[in-house]
Amino acid sequence: MTAMPQAPTPAKKHLLATRLVAAALLLGWMSGAAEIPRLTADGYAVPQPGRYFVFPRDHGSHPEFAIEWWYITGHLTAADQSQFGFQATFFRRALVPPGLTNASSSASFGSSQIYLAHMALVNPGTGKFIFQEKLNRDGWDAYASTNTMDVRNGNWSLRLVSPQAGRPEFYQLQGTVAAEVAFALKLIPRKPLVIFGTNGVSRKAADPRASSHYLTFPRLSAAGTLTLNETNQAVAGEAWMDHEFSSSQLGAGQVGWDWLSLQLFDGRELMAYRLRRQDGSTDPFSTVAWIDLAGKVVQIGPDQFNWSVCAHWQSLQSGADYPSLVRLQAINPATSRPESFMVQPLVADQELTGKLGGVGYWEGACRVLDENKTVIGRAYLELTGYGESLRGKF
Amino acid sequence: MAASNLSVLRLLWSRIAWRHWRLSPVSSFLLLLILAIGVAAFFSIRLANRAAVAGFQNFTDLVTSQSDGLITAPVGTLSETVLLELRELLGNAPVNLLPVLETTAVVPDRAERQTIGSRPTFQVLGLDLPALVNLASQPDNGPGWFSPATEGKTNESDHGFSSVLRNPQSVFISAALAKRDQLKSGSLLPLIINEHLVTLRVAGIIPADPRQPAVPANLLIMDLPALQQLADKPGQLDRVEFVVEAGPHRSAQWLGIKEKLAAANLTNSPRWLVGSPADRRASAATMTEAFRLNLTILSLLALLVGLYLVFQGLDGAVVRRRGEIAVLRSLGVTSGQIQSAWLVEAAGIGLVGGLLGLGLGWLGAQLAVKMVARTVNALYFASSADSAAFDFREAVIALVISVLASIFAGWRPARVAANTLPAQIAVRAGLSNFPGGKLLRRPQLGMALILLGMALTWFPPLRLPGGGRLPIAAYAAALGWIFGAGILAGIFLGELGRGLHRLKMNSVPLRLAGSHLRVPSGRHRLLVASLVCAVGMTAGMAILVGSFDTTMRGWIARTFQADLFISSDGAQTASSASRISPATWRAIVAHPAVKQANVIQVMDIKLAGVSTLLVGNHLAFFRDYSRPAWVEPPDSDDVFNPDLNSGLALASEAFSARFHMHRGSSVPVPTRSGFRHVTIAGIFADYGNERGSLLIEQRQFAGWSGNELAASLILALQPGHDAEAMRAELRAAHPGLGVFTSGYLRGESLRIFHQTFAVTYALELIGVVVAVAGLAFTMASLLWERREDLNTLRALGLRREELASAAAWEGALTAAAGVVAGLAVSLALGWLLIYRINKQTFGWTLQTDRPWGQLAALALLVLASAAVAGWFVGRWAARLPAEREE
Repeated sequence: MTAMPQAPTPAKKHLLATRLVAAALLLGWMSGAAEIPRLTADGYAVPQPGRYFVFPRDHGSHPEFAIEWWYITGHLTAADQSQFGFQATFFRRALVPPGLTNASSSASFGSSQIYLAHMALVNPGTGKFIFQEKLNRDGWDAYASTNTMDVRNGNWSLRLVSPQAGRPEFYQLQGTVAAEVAFALKLIPRKPLVIFGTNGVSRKAADPRASSHYLTFPRLSAAGTLTLNETNQAVAGEAWMDHEFSSSQLGAGQVGWDWLSLQLFDGRELMAYRLRRQDGSTDPFSTVAWIDLAGKVVQIGPDQFNWSVCAHWQSLQSGADYPSLVRLQAINPATSRPESFMVQPLVADQELTGKLGGVGYWEGACRVLDENKTVIGRAYLELTGYGESLRGKF
Repeated sequence: MAASNLSVLRLLWSRIAWRHWRLSPVSSFLLLLILAIGVAAFFSIRLANRAAVAGFQNFTDLVTSQSDGLITAPVGTLSETVLLELRELLGNAPVNLLPVLETTAVVPDRAERQTIGSRPTFQVLGLDLPALVNLASQPDNGPGWFSPATEGKTNESDHGFSSVLRNPQSVFISAALAKRDQLKSGSLLPLIINEHLVTLRVAGIIPADPRQPAVPANLLIMDLPALQQLADKPGQLDRVEFVVEAGPHRSAQWLGIKEKLAAANLTNSPRWLVGSPADRRASAATMTEAFRLNLTILSLLALLVGLYLVFQGLDGAVVRRRGEIAVLRSLGVTSGQIQSAWLVEAAGIGLVGGLLGLGLGWLGAQLAVKMVARTVNALYFASSADSAAFDFREAVIALVISVLASIFAGWRPARVAANTLPAQIAVRAGLSNFPGGKLLRRPQLGMALILLGMALTWFPPLRLPGGGRLPIAAYAAALGWIFGAGILAGIFLGELGRGLHRLKMNSVPLRLAGSHLRVPSGRHRLLVASLVCAVGMTAGMAILVGSFDTTMRGWIARTFQADLFISSDGAQTASSASRISPATWRAIVAHPAVKQANVIQVMDIKLAGVSTLLVGNHLAFFRDYSRPAWVEPPDSDDVFNPDLNSGLALASEAFSARFHMHRGSSVPVPTRSGFRHVTIAGIFADYGNERGSLLIEQRQFAGWSGNELAASLILALQPGHDAEAMRAELRAAHPGLGVFTSGYLRGESLRIFHQTFAVTYALELIGVVVAVAGLAFTMASLLWERREDLNTLRALGLRREELASAAAWEGALTAAAGVVAGLAVSLALGWLLIYRINKQTFGWTLQTDRPWGQLAALALLVLASAAVAGWFVGRWAARLPAEREE
């Protein structure tokens, strides 16, 4: 394994410490010492290794888990070559553990789940970023099917349309943003579904309850219409879709995460998340996943990548200081050589202030440059926990 | 030229107007006060009307800032399943759908005997609370729910609404209620909803939007599914409101949504009616339009009487100032300038009196609004009005009326003043030359007005949009009769004076008084005419109210024949949404002591866009225990037979008048499954509401409306069972029900009926007060003009007391002429009010009853007031020096 190209002495010490911790954890895992509880203290399910996923059922909702989201980000190009970045996120959060219901629950007006959703559109041509949130209880205006991917929040929806003769399955996304933008996109997976983590479980912390089942379509073709200021235009591009469910996303001492999805023009993808500790350091459970042309995934630990911040952007609205220009250096497992990716936001202000959900974050469309400053791909970068710690919220 | 005109006007104003006003401040103030009372009566009723209607709000506006539109069920409630269907129908249109359920609630009262309507009614709004945050997030909307400003916030990441979901019996209250009843987050609020006694936890304060009216104290907001349970309406909605997301194309978006809603509606059996919050507010306004117009017209009575006096005041001033006018004329002031000066003075009186009236009117409105709101509550809808805000537009209208009416009243005196010749400087202005009253001396004119009035009684009412009717021709007839009788009464006054003269009585004061009345002056005639107006209208109203009272007593005695009458204890007004759940009424009906029961269900429906009531009833029970008085009796007993009456209905008289329908008419009734036709089998007299009622068999009602909630329950008990004992048993078993015996309910019905006439009584009283004050004012004016005669009489040896007695007699005799003619015209007005104005407005036939005792008391009151006022004025006048200017 090639050493990472940065290495002042203190960092090397830190790297060593991280490796030791990771090794110890791996040892514990292998010996079965870290017993994985089936339920959290509140009674929600804990992701279990070896879960056998069944589709399309597992594209649907898992109400036995406290938190779940369906996350789509992508880049679109219109007929006139205008570029757009978009985000559509459907969150589910349980209010009561499975088996219990609040007293006023009814089919149309439930009280056991709350659905939050975000839609955003960025136009690099104009520099304009708009977003909107929606929040609804489970019932007539917000739901997620437990049988297939069929999620809705108000007038926003994401549905799996089953394959029919001569037509592959696809995902239908419908949304609007602040009554200015409407889009209807057909998303067709171009690579097979990826399940991140080990044995179906994506660990986030030493506490085994801080883990998730993390399913991703790393590359989907996106085509449809974008309505901007009452004008319809055909758009096409590529998207990334995550579906993640868990009952806890952060462990003790963690305050947030930086997440990155890269779609390189050469057909490869990378997913990276850096779990951040209170002191700003990278948690040993952070990871980078390389996805090759065939969709094969190899994950590496924090000893094999480096996430460095090149510039910050401070929000005037929330005051949060986001490290939004980053360089990711990671060992490519296929070549055992490091590769470097500069991730540069298309627009500086892509902050979702989180008035309804209570969590503000930055989620932005970016371009990916190599060391020669050549654009080699597109990315979406997510920066959370910079306004306030997310501990206890996820 | 214009400048010189202005300087002349200024000179005239200071010489012949302002100087006189300063010299006689008391009479000047009295004149202004009389006009002010007239304006105040009008202004206070207008403000109270406005407040009572404003009290009906589309409460969701306070939450949404204002919805773009709404849908309601063609009949009854919407099923909540319509929501998903609507969302699918509208695709990704950026619109928030706001399901709403509304009901009413009251605070429990454990008193054994309750006064119906004494407890304030809360309007309870059921909304999808978590979804409200989506509205607050929009830039056009106000501060949000579950925000730090709302007391219900907790530290939870979901902004606190999960605590509301965990504790469904939570309620958000207004800041006004929190302050009034010292409630805060966590306080407990006991309420009755339907027949359920519930204790709700205060979850927070309803966020106030500064761009909306203040949240009224009587508004409560609950989570919708929790209210559905409490109101016994699971799965039901009253309406769905649409709030298009803020953006540059909001109106276009709503138009597109409306088109989709219309296209999805089946034409034969519409699933929903598309409307707007403005429609709801407008329907509240049109529903009460006739009632409010009637009150406004009644409030003009005092102003009308006041105008007689302004006319008198200005006319008297012309006489008093004639000398100065003649001097000015001889100095070259033109007649046009004199006339302008008088008209400016009249306008000034109107302005100052009007301004004073606005102040008095605003104070009066605070009293009137409660009375008006009580009537609106009893007859139309829940109005939360308890104070009337000053309204600039209404103030301008009142001021303009005051000024224009004063100019109108001053027109003739101004012309008389302008025609004063310079030569008249040498002539002492005297009564013999009093110019006013030429018209009043023409009995032909009086007769013509009366005949014209008679002709006008044949005209139909003006039909207002929304079903209201305004008997405009009948009002014109009343005016014709009042003016005509006023003219004829002057002739009667002369006859009275001559009659006294022929009696050759020894009493000097009486003979003196009689001598002034033998050839009554124009001012006497005007005074009599104003008294005829006040007494005629007051006595006429007394006849109407008396007839109403007698009719109501008969109706109440007939209607409340059964043993027990049960409703939700929350039903404090006619518009209350409180109902009795089917489980409860079934349990009561099954009680072994119950011989027969009538389950009454009520629902608002619209026929051709006009609102009315569909009532489910056991029609045979209705016949046997309510003993209706038939306006058009049924031809057969089929309508009372549940096996035969499926296509038959009974209609109230108000229904018949409102929709021009009679026995045999077919009525298309909107139901959940389209229109069903029923034939009217009979028409009965009913005084419960003016919108009209269509009675069908209860079983059919339940099928057509899809609900079994009862508005009330009437029980006939088995022989040997005591109603009081049964009442106590039911109250103990169902503390959320109001259980009344027939005797008690009769008393309460009469009390509520009298309460609704409180405004009428108040307006009548104001009319009489103005008339009596006017009498004193006119007497003072008359005696002032005769001050030389008074001095002569004193020189001849008459004492002050004798002069005072003479004035008292003169006042009393003048009043007598006014009272006699006023009472005569009141009999005609009573007929007009009962058979035309009331019938055309409300569609109710009343049994005529003349409350002779009240009429006699009114006559005595006016006569005694006139005598007393005359006596005091006479004493004052006896001291006047002959040469005092004013």
